[in-house]
Amino acid sequence: MIEIYLRLVDKILTPVILLIAIFLFLRGHDLPGGGFIAGLVAASAIELTILARGTQATRDRYGPWAVPLAGAGLTIAVGAALLGMYNGGFFRSIWLEFSMTGEKLKFGTPQLFDLGVMFVVVGMAITYLLRLGEAAEAAVTEQTRLGRQTEDRQR
Amino acid sequence: MPALALSLVILFVSAPIFWLLKPHRSLWFAWLSALPPAAITVWQALQLPAVAQGNFIAERYAWAPTLGLELALRLDGLALFFGLIITGVGACIAFYTAYYFEGEPRQGFFYLVLYGFMASMLGLVWADDLLTLFIFWEGTSITSYLLIAFKSDYKGATEGARRALIVTTAGGLAMLAGMVLLGLHVGSFNISEILSAPDIATASITPVALVLIFLGAFTKSAQFPFQFWLPGAMAAPTPASAYLHSATMVKAGVFLLARLHPTFGELPLWFWTLFLVGGFTMVLGGVSAIRYTDMKALLAYATVAVLGTLVMLLAFREKYAYEAFVVTVLAHALYKAPLFLSAGIVDHATGTRDLRRLANLARAMPLVAATVVLAALSMSGVIPTMGFLAKELMLEQGFQRIEHGEAFVGGLMYAASALAALFMVGAIVTLTWEAFFRRQADEQHPAHLHHAPSPGFVAPALLLTLLGTFGAFFTGVYENLLFAPAIAAISGESTALELKLWHGLTPVFLTSLAVLAVGVGVFALRNRVRRAFAAVPEKFSSLAAYDALIDAIYHFAYRLTTVIQGSPMAPQVSVTLLAGVAVVVYALFFATARTSVLLDSLEIPSIAEWLIFALAILGALATVRARSRLSAIISLGVVGITVTIFFIVFGAPDLALTQLLIEVLTVILLVLVFFRVRPDPSVEMDKRRAFRILVAIAMGFFGFVVVMVNHVTQIGESISPYFLEKSYSLGKGANVVNVILVDFRGYDTLGEITVLGLAALGGYALLRSPQIHKLRRRIVAARSSASEDGAQPVSSIRQEATEVGHD
Repeated sequence: MIEIYLRLVDKILTPVILLIAIFLFLRGHDLPGGGFIAGLVAASAIELTILARGTQATRDRYGPWAVPLAGAGLTIAVGAALLGMYNGGFFRSIWLEFSMTGEKLKFGTPQLFDLGVMFVVVGMAITYLLRLGEAAEAAVTEQTRLGRQTEDRQR
Repeated sequence: MPALALSLVILFVSAPIFWLLKPHRSLWFAWLSALPPAAITVWQALQLPAVAQGNFIAERYAWAPTLGLELALRLDGLALFFGLIITGVGACIAFYTAYYFEGEPRQGFFYLVLYGFMASMLGLVWADDLLTLFIFWEGTSITSYLLIAFKSDYKGATEGARRALIVTTAGGLAMLAGMVLLGLHVGSFNISEILSAPDIATASITPVALVLIFLGAFTKSAQFPFQFWLPGAMAAPTPASAYLHSATMVKAGVFLLARLHPTFGELPLWFWTLFLVGGFTMVLGGVSAIRYTDMKALLAYATVAVLGTLVMLLAFREKYAYEAFVVTVLAHALYKAPLFLSAGIVDHATGTRDLRRLANLARAMPLVAATVVLAALSMSGVIPTMGFLAKELMLEQGFQRIEHGEAFVGGLMYAASALAALFMVGAIVTLTWEAFFRRQADEQHPAHLHHAPSPGFVAPALLLTLLGTFGAFFTGVYENLLFAPAIAAISGESTALELKLWHGLTPVFLTSLAVLAVGVGVFALRNRVRRAFAAVPEKFSSLAAYDALIDAIYHFAYRLTTVIQGSPMAPQVSVTLLAGVAVVVYALFFATARTSVLLDSLEIPSIAEWLIFALAILGALATVRARSRLSAIISLGVVGITVTIFFIVFGAPDLALTQLLIEVLTVILLVLVFFRVRPDPSVEMDKRRAFRILVAIAMGFFGFVVVMVNHVTQIGESISPYFLEKSYSLGKGANVVNVILVDFRGYDTLGEITVLGLAALGGYALLRSPQIHKLRRRIVAARSSASEDGAQPVSSIRQEATEVGHD
């Protein structure tokens, strides 16, 4: 019964939380937020899905990315640091600034690096949550199976 | 033209190209595969006259100039001599490989590694910089590991490969230390500069550096007591054994010794180490070869004997020793590689290399038999082969020493050489006779011939063996082109050579004949000799010592882990926390360079803050007093949330956000983990409760002390103002925390996310294994209850298990 409510919550809230994660990531360089926090927020959204729908459904939704995401994040982070070679050394930042409709926008390699951080955090969190969730589900099935068996025997 | 670097690049580049070409599709790739090494061989051969004149080719490339690293290559006589063997034999091996792995889809991968090895080996002998040499040296170790472990589903292959890797890289590390000592002493890693540095032979660090370099050379060249890895490496596919473990890689150690010989050769340390170790290895390998009935194992021990011979010859600084050295290197490459290749052909055609099951193969494969007979003649040292010339020169060296009044060294060498040689004669005659000529195999189940080898399969071996057998006739053509420059590089002074096959009826020649005669006698008594060897207990071998050492390391690691982590959670955590307390106490006592900062005014916390304190303490108490795990986890969450509130109150929104999210995820993770970890009923919770309370209080108290001390004292200027000031101007961000994370302290973050990524990998791999265990348990359960009704069929569970294993 609870699961139905959880699914409803998941349906409404997960996209919102993911959007919040993106929002926190984008504003991270100037206001509270950033890759690490955004990654954790995204991970909690995914955990909500796991709790509501089980690991298999979550795997179907995010599955193919889940584990490679950590590696992709590391690659992006190192790549961002390597881009700095263009500006005179490893980790030297490069910034592009321009204004659009009165708003000043800026993009730089530190933000790209931050994206890598976010991916690593999400990738690691999903890996652990999925694996532990699977184990927990297996334990539950095992318990119900054992319970059913003893019931059968008693009958 | 940078020909040397270009050659290496050609080999390195053709490796992946060959892989992508999928050469197993057609035998025509045999020709293509032999092309790059053959071309480099021809190029090297064209350099012979110039190098013999003393015109060396040298190339230097800056690599990491700030570290003093450079890629230095130099083609002198010794480098050219070894380089010719490497690429020449390499071309034959590459050709042979196409036949050996006919139709095998992993053939391309074999070529990939083989070419990588060839390039590393060539770079090793061409290197003129110790660090360049070391890098190529390690390259050969790694590629040879991959080649030995090629049949990765066969346990012997992976074990042999790991053993070879551990032994050779351990020696390589010791060698690196020795090289660094030499390089720092001279101030340059350039080999030519080190060898010509004044007084380097008498420097105080030289003995230490030499012993370390000896370790590297002896492990690589399978000298006693490290010789055991070489027979184990025979699990490699035969082309790899023939190439690495007879003609090239094992000679790397010998090559390095030859390289260092002109400068360090006159030291007594050099002479006695090489003489004794090499001599003992020679006798050990030569005598024990006949014991083995696996053709490749027999040949491997014979190789150990030759490597010992070469090391022993390098101990001397006399003409005959040098001549014997170069002739032995060439002769050995030209007879041992064909013998290995023939063993591979026999294996391919009959499915076994076990001499007990083989007989009478000469009729089915006459070309192979001819190859083996010719190579065996050279190996036994029958006149007029190159092997005869090598043995003659070696005995002559011993004889000369005796004549010059050094009866001990000369006599020892003479006797040891003769002893090893006669047993090797016995071994190789045994191999030839039993596999190819006798009528009946020993065992009840003799091997059957599947198919006769095609001529292309035999051709490379035959070519090499013909060179080795009849090359000795024409030494006059090439001795001053090939041998003399190599000898000049080893001895440090150039001389002209005049090698002769026939010296008349000298004592040395008579000894040579006697060795042959007694060797045939050993062959006649081979079964008794084998039985006698079989009686020697296994535990006296250095393989047993090595295995005992590795076992001891595993055992120690196991014991250490049991002590530190084997107990239930509570004692483990106590150890960690107490260690933390010890560190804090230490830091407090010894960190004297602190200035105390007076707090401006002590603020009395507001009522809201008092309430948060109270909540945190209540949460902590509830955690400790909790009866169930779930309530403990939730109370712990409450403590975390109060900390979050602290961060908000004191204006750290980033920290607060992070803390909050971590708290949420931690609670969920803990719940998931405790789903799996059932409480162990055997652990008495209340045992040592007082001790644990004490540990907890100590940790809390010292944590408090650290925070207070940090707050009221200061080591240097605070860096916070710098970050606050520069955050926007340098980092282009108003959020200082984020700018520090991704810009100012980017290296730290990179390290941290690397750890996170590894943790993700570890979790991915580790957390799935219990499921597999669970499935295994279910398989066992299903088997035991197979007779009962309703049990799940075992096969379906196993299907499930493989799926879990592969997702």
